[in-house]
Amino acid sequence: MGVAAFSLWACSDLQSMHGFSFGAGTAPRIFATLLFGLGSAVMIVGVINEGPQVAHYSWRGPLFVSLALVFFALAIRPLGLAVSGLVSFLISALGSHETRWGEALIVGVWPDSRLCGAIPLYFGAADAAVPSFSGAVRAG
Amino acid sequence: MTDLFHNLALGFSVAVSPVNLLLCLIGALVGTLVGVLPGIGTIATVAMLLPITFGLPPVGALIMLAGIYYGAQYGGSTTSILVNIPGEATSVVTTLDGFQMAKRGRAGPALAIAAIGSFIAGCAATVLIAVLGTPLTRLALAFGPAEYFSLMVLGLIFAVVLAKGSVLMAIAMIAFGILLSMVGSDIETGASRMAFNIPELADGLGFATVAMGVFGFAEIIRNLDAGAEMDRDLVQQKITGLMPTKEDMKDSLPAIFRGTVLGSILGILPGGGAVIASFAAYTFEKKISREPQKFGRGAIAGVAAPESANNAAAQTSFIPLLTLGIPPNAVMALMVGAMTIHGIVPGPQVMQKQPDLVWGMIASMWIGNLMLIIINLPLVGIWVRLLRVPYRLMFPSIVVFCAIGIYSINNAPVDVILAGAFGLIGYWLIKHEFEPAPLLLGMVLGPLMEENLRRALLISRGDWSVFITRPLSAVLMAAAAGLLVLAVLPTLRRKRDKVFLESEG
Repeated sequence: MGVAAFSLWACSDLQSMHGFSFGAGTAPRIFATLLFGLGSAVMIVGVINEGPQVAHYSWRGPLFVSLALVFFALAIRPLGLAVSGLVSFLISALGSHETRWGEALIVGVWPDSRLCGAIPLYFGAADAAVPSFSGAVRAG
Repeated sequence: MTDLFHNLALGFSVAVSPVNLLLCLIGALVGTLVGVLPGIGTIATVAMLLPITFGLPPVGALIMLAGIYYGAQYGGSTTSILVNIPGEATSVVTTLDGFQMAKRGRAGPALAIAAIGSFIAGCAATVLIAVLGTPLTRLALAFGPAEYFSLMVLGLIFAVVLAKGSVLMAIAMIAFGILLSMVGSDIETGASRMAFNIPELADGLGFATVAMGVFGFAEIIRNLDAGAEMDRDLVQQKITGLMPTKEDMKDSLPAIFRGTVLGSILGILPGGGAVIASFAAYTFEKKISREPQKFGRGAIAGVAAPESANNAAAQTSFIPLLTLGIPPNAVMALMVGAMTIHGIVPGPQVMQKQPDLVWGMIASMWIGNLMLIIINLPLVGIWVRLLRVPYRLMFPSIVVFCAIGIYSINNAPVDVILAGAFGLIGYWLIKHEFEPAPLLLGMVLGPLMEENLRRALLISRGDWSVFITRPLSAVLMAAAAGLLVLAVLPTLRRKRDKVFLESEG
């Protein structure tokens, strides 16, 4: 319902139907209203019926996987794949309490070196493999 | 008939070129490799590997993606038999007898029969695609915007009926997916919609970004909840004697035949017929068996039937995609995404204007299935060793690999952050029992639905009754409404819930 309400607000300035023709905002409004209705129905059913317990959330996995991705996104241009890949690997490894650091470092360095060699070349971005300090200056 | 042979000959001439053979082999191998990794299903595998096909020519990319798809399915069967954990919902039934066979030291014949059954089913389904392709394309060309819109509604309703959990939640997921597809610029007016002047959103949300987040990262995060439970109790005996005995073959061949027929029919249904096909084939086989008590205790027919059915269904699910342009399940939705990135609009026009692309892919399925059977059985030892890698070492590599993949699509760091955000949304959805697959279908079909809805209303001068006054559209809409009513009827709902409960157990 939150997403639907937000969408309705976000497309409030868009044109609606003009004559027989759809405006830019007609379809988003139709589906946002539908989503709002369905969300309300899910809520009502949830209130009336006794369902299963709300699932347990663990914070560790979501937090460190997200941090690894944010770090990767911020560091890939200035630091290159070699550094950002390895550090992101180690940050995401924090997502499990079973991680053994010696082992993680060895495993992290091994695929990282392979990825730096193969993947950027394949994707046509060979210069992304190593730190580019001029890139850092540009980004900064 | 001449057309059929001509088309198949064209397909084989494309598929047997050295480059395409290599791409098919790489796709099948990489798909199997990722498919056997614990906790990563077929959808996540295809989503994660999408970016590696972007630099390829369209035919090669589709051949490789198809290879990844059936390779991942094959990988899922391997984990079902060896570890008792299905890689995918379609392999759930295989665990019942496959794992029992493996525990008795008969993992080899179980794997071999799964592969042989899949190969035979794959071949039969490929012929069916070739046979039905042309007439269905002709039918599709008679469709107007109203019929297309109604067909998409029917496809989405099928997806709802066959999705796990609440019908209401599944429809909400579709609406959410359609809404996500509308972020970006309006195709007709060029107006910016829900993009908040963020340049990266001007072209809309990347399909691969959303798919990778909702299926890839969300699945990794969810698996982290399970912790050490992710490290499976493997069958420890060495796998020897791959070849099934004469007795095994005698028991399996009729089951493979029946599974293939059932799977081929059910696979055409939109919404994920492969899951239903494997359950239906197993139940049918058990019902007609002279010794039903053997099922669940290592009956080889209990491996042969569902494995043939799910592979046949997986392959025939290409029919609605290739002929009508409608993806019947989430994997096919990913294929649509890949096609769109390569500038191909799936549908009847592709069959007519780019026959080499369609028939090349169809022929490659045949070759790919043969490759899987030749290459993967001797490699089964490697897959077992891969299964022994602890999850704590595997998931960071997958996170980094996916991040590189997303970044490489547009060289845009913001895409990586968006995928992470969708990963969190996907995790939340899974935790609250929302099925993410309808979201992806909604996202793929959203622009097509909007376009056809607009056109239909423009042609009918704003008359909404056009969807029920045109005969074909009315039939499709009536079928959709009937299905929806059936899905919420208590008797059918209980049966549907029972199937999904079994698939979880």
